[in-house]
Amino acid sequence: MNNKPKIGVYVCHCGMNIAKTVDVEAVSEFASRLPYVKVARNYSYMCSDPGQQLIKEDIKNEGLTRVVVASCSPRMHENTFRKTLAAAGLNPYYLEMANIREHCSWVHENREEATAKAKKLVYAAVAKVRLLEPLEEKEVEVEPSALIVGGGIAGIQAALDIAAAGFKVYMVEKTPSVGGKMSQLDKTFPTLDCSACILTPKMVDVASHPNIELMTYSQVEDITGYVGNFNVKVRKKARYVDINKCTGCGACAQECRLAGTIPSEFNMGLGKRAAIYLPFPQAVPAKYTIDKERCLFLTRGKCGKGPKCIEACAAGAINFEQQDEIVEFKVGTIIIATGYELFDPAKKPEYGYADYDNVITGLELERLVAASGPTGGEIVIGKGEKAIVPKEVAFISCVGSRDESVGKPYCSRVCCMYSAKLAHLVTEKLPDANVRIYYMDVRAFGKGYEEFYDRVRREGVRYIRGNPSEIFKRGDKLVIKAEDTLAGRTLEDEVDLVVLATGLEPRQDAREIIDILKLSQSADGFYLEAHPKLAPVDTATDGVYLAGCAQGPKDIPDTVAQAKGAASSALILLSSGKVKVQAQISNINEATCRGCGYCVEICPFGAIDLVEVNRMGNIVQVARVNEALCKGCGACAAGCFSGSAQQKSFKDQQILPQIAVLGAMK
Amino acid sequence: MADLEKLRAVAKETVSRDDVKYLIGWRQGTYGFRVSPHFITEPEEADKLIFSPLCSNNLATYLTLVEKLPVPRGQEPDTRKIALMVKGCDSRAVVQQLVEQGIKRESVIIIGCPCQGVVDLAKVEEKFPAVLEQVEARWDDGKIVFKLSEGEKAVPREEVLADKCLRCRYPNPVTADTLLWEKVEAESNDEYADVGELEGKAPEERWSFWEAYFSSCIRCYSCRNVCPMCYCEDCILDRLNPTWVNRSNNISENTAFHLARAFHLAGRCIECGECERVCPVNIPLMKLNRKLTKEVREKFEYEPGTDPDSKPLQASYRPNDQENFIL
Amino acid sequence: MSEQFEPNLVAFVCNWCTYAGADLAGTSRIQYPPNLSVIRVMCTGRINPLFVLNALQQGADGVLVSGCHPGDCHYMEGNYYARRRFTLMKDLLEYVGVDPKRFHMSWVSASEGAKWKEVVETTVNEAKEVGPFEQFQRNKINW
Repeated sequence: MNNKPKIGVYVCHCGMNIAKTVDVEAVSEFASRLPYVKVARNYSYMCSDPGQQLIKEDIKNEGLTRVVVASCSPRMHENTFRKTLAAAGLNPYYLEMANIREHCSWVHENREEATAKAKKLVYAAVAKVRLLEPLEEKEVEVEPSALIVGGGIAGIQAALDIAAAGFKVYMVEKTPSVGGKMSQLDKTFPTLDCSACILTPKMVDVASHPNIELMTYSQVEDITGYVGNFNVKVRKKARYVDINKCTGCGACAQECRLAGTIPSEFNMGLGKRAAIYLPFPQAVPAKYTIDKERCLFLTRGKCGKGPKCIEACAAGAINFEQQDEIVEFKVGTIIIATGYELFDPAKKPEYGYADYDNVITGLELERLVAASGPTGGEIVIGKGEKAIVPKEVAFISCVGSRDESVGKPYCSRVCCMYSAKLAHLVTEKLPDANVRIYYMDVRAFGKGYEEFYDRVRREGVRYIRGNPSEIFKRGDKLVIKAEDTLAGRTLEDEVDLVVLATGLEPRQDAREIIDILKLSQSADGFYLEAHPKLAPVDTATDGVYLAGCAQGPKDIPDTVAQAKGAASSALILLSSGKVKVQAQISNINEATCRGCGYCVEICPFGAIDLVEVNRMGNIVQVARVNEALCKGCGACAAGCFSGSAQQKSFKDQQILPQIAVLGAMK
Repeated sequence: MADLEKLRAVAKETVSRDDVKYLIGWRQGTYGFRVSPHFITEPEEADKLIFSPLCSNNLATYLTLVEKLPVPRGQEPDTRKIALMVKGCDSRAVVQQLVEQGIKRESVIIIGCPCQGVVDLAKVEEKFPAVLEQVEARWDDGKIVFKLSEGEKAVPREEVLADKCLRCRYPNPVTADTLLWEKVEAESNDEYADVGELEGKAPEERWSFWEAYFSSCIRCYSCRNVCPMCYCEDCILDRLNPTWVNRSNNISENTAFHLARAFHLAGRCIECGECERVCPVNIPLMKLNRKLTKEVREKFEYEPGTDPDSKPLQASYRPNDQENFIL
Repeated sequence: MSEQFEPNLVAFVCNWCTYAGADLAGTSRIQYPPNLSVIRVMCTGRINPLFVLNALQQGADGVLVSGCHPGDCHYMEGNYYARRRFTLMKDLLEYVGVDPKRFHMSWVSASEGAKWKEVVETTVNEAKEVGPFEQFQRNKINW
């Protein structure tokens, strides 16, 4: 092979855009005398068909092996000219552009100076282009299936969309039932739809859809691979009930020795359940699960003369021998819809949540007003003789939102509206009650939200602008100390019930997925999207998308919209069946790599791993790039002390000549 | 207090183990105040081991210098452990090598020698010029006692100890499998006075200061070769394609070489001072390295070689790293 | 003499923010001095701090490194690594007597064409103030 490069340089006039300030004739004449330059031409519009034809013909007739186009920004036409090279049978990565328009003719007035600079830029491009290497644009096949982590409304919607498009979906949900937080709500704002009525059909669809494989009470253990080819490992936790046999009749729970003694998670601890339980009546799948932390037989090895559930179960579904099961499968794309947690109001001790029974959270009130809740929809505080029906009810907004003191500077976006909704439900159920809401600002930004806020105020709910400083007990009453900042006076407000509008925060276990998929977190701890505006459902990892509150606080309409967006992004991959991987990626010279692992730490995409190789009989550790994961940023290359990591088309030996030219040409 | 019997006994026991390849310690050098590294494979060789104020050498360098010879077909590579004697500063090199995965913790046995400071040979030879016979030395209550042929001479430690020892904050090994004797109290603090002094000067004065030293550099690469953190098998400053630094010896290339070397040690230099000790033309290399050590400590609250679980400084970041110099 | 001195500057910029910002300055016809030429890389994370030494050696009177604002990196983290690396390189250069006016770093986003002009002007003017930097330069072009 003749390794002396033959370079063609093409100087574009861009009409008068370049030619007016840059002496294009002089630049191409200068270029023609540079090392390895075979031809140098200038032409009115290089990007036009005849312009491109010029390059193609020279490649054929002059045997050019490298091309420099001195014209506009490569951000504009790099692809155009790459295609030109490819059409003429030259590797498209044998192209270098000199930006003599945006970076020269348009920003400098003096013709002499601009021409001198254009020459410099062309020389630097010539210096680099001769050292460029041919690159290959690889494609990988996409496994036609998707993994959805999280079975709340976001995961459910995404799963249904992808399944409807005809692709296989694996849904992994940590708890025994799908439904998520939405299933705990009574009504949804601002339409006051019954939450269960709109959600339950979708839950059932997920379980019954032939394309969806639902794994509840399961957890993602590990994910390896890359876009199009992820290997997923899921742990199906032992529920000690054979779900193929369980009919969901509930006889076991009635007989359980612990029936009515264990706080129900679904009812926020306000109701009680047995050790074998269905989280809530509409749970999907309607299969019972044994709580192994509580079950007498599983914790003590003994339950009376024998577990009563076994006796009660006519289907013979109880199986105390059941073990966790690991299942493995491949997917092409992943949607993370793991949702959120609620702020723990005990972290704001001045509100007395931990001390007083009649200080509750919004979600607790939600369970109280729900017909399916522990009180059958009656708003009753306390039990037995002490039970009261509150008359004076106060809501406090922004508990754990917009509050630097607890590390939550962001707005949770739903609390204003759910407070308004709950206030409405209270006035509806207790017409005599006086309801007020302490607030900082009311954010009613969604469709129909402002109207709902107006309606609630018309219904008699009072809005008091001020953040309570303290809540304490006086007799049977709670006293809220606050400043009404609009009236400019302090007040002590005696009430029967305080409802804290707790904000949304990232899940405590958010790190699990981060460690598995190398996702990033934004400052607030939620998963970071690839771009806040233009790629809000994408992540830095190709093929992995975000839906719902895992990415940040959202209401239900926004969650569903984002889930549909994530599903659509996933479907682009799935339906095209293959995905192109970057060509200008990094590569590691294993012969000089010392295996220090800097690049592994640095890589934002988890694209580099340390592997053991046999070097003349010795086992040594070196870094290796996974080409499908690398996005070609080059951060590894700059962090590698031995120069073993290099980014293709941006190698040290390709950049140093540019530096040399630009430094030397005064 | 250095207990040579204990040291030798531990060495004997260690080197007798089947899973130990060899042990690296110190022994008396061939003349004067010199000390040499001592590689032993047999227990009887342990009797030559010493630990004294003359043991400047940072033996951790040898862990990454180990040449991996080709293993003949059909044979297994020798994966036995290497035992290493370390002072406080040396142990930081081992820790930083662990951080950078140059070695595996289970493949080394670290024998820790709490240290009261080692001498600066230049300072000693100024006091006792042209001594050719082998000299032993020991610590004695704030003094260093030299055993010369004309009798013992005690010198206050401040007069002969290396500068790095007079401000040492890590006299005790930060990690060790065996600690040979009781720990030593650290010097109070290190305020980087040497760095501060130069920082206070005008840019031209600083340039002249370094220009004088760098122009005397003979590019022998001793500073790089002795450094326990310079372990690349193929140093980019040696490479021709691409050529980062020309081999010609002039102020431009020499300056670039030293700046590149210092930069590659930023967040990694554990201040053992070996580069400066071995420099044949006395370039104050620690004054250069310590500038970055100081910045790393102040700006990133990072001290290399102290925590084997830390992430390397240059392979990590904090979103709120300071950036007041950025336009 | 220094009045006539026209410094020669090299800039390393990322493709997604600063290069695009400079493109915007172009499309907006914002004028700035021609003394600075740009080398484009995909991310500031790619910029090896030794490039700065090399540029000074090869004849540059000053060097600029510029990329996306923190949090905006196209590759999420590249500019954070760059910030650390160049914090240290800047300290080192200053310490050996390279005037701080010869090395700058900036964040210029794709929408900051006007800021790009300011950055170029600052860099050029400061290099003018401190004059040519021959002490560190190689005597011949080397590539």
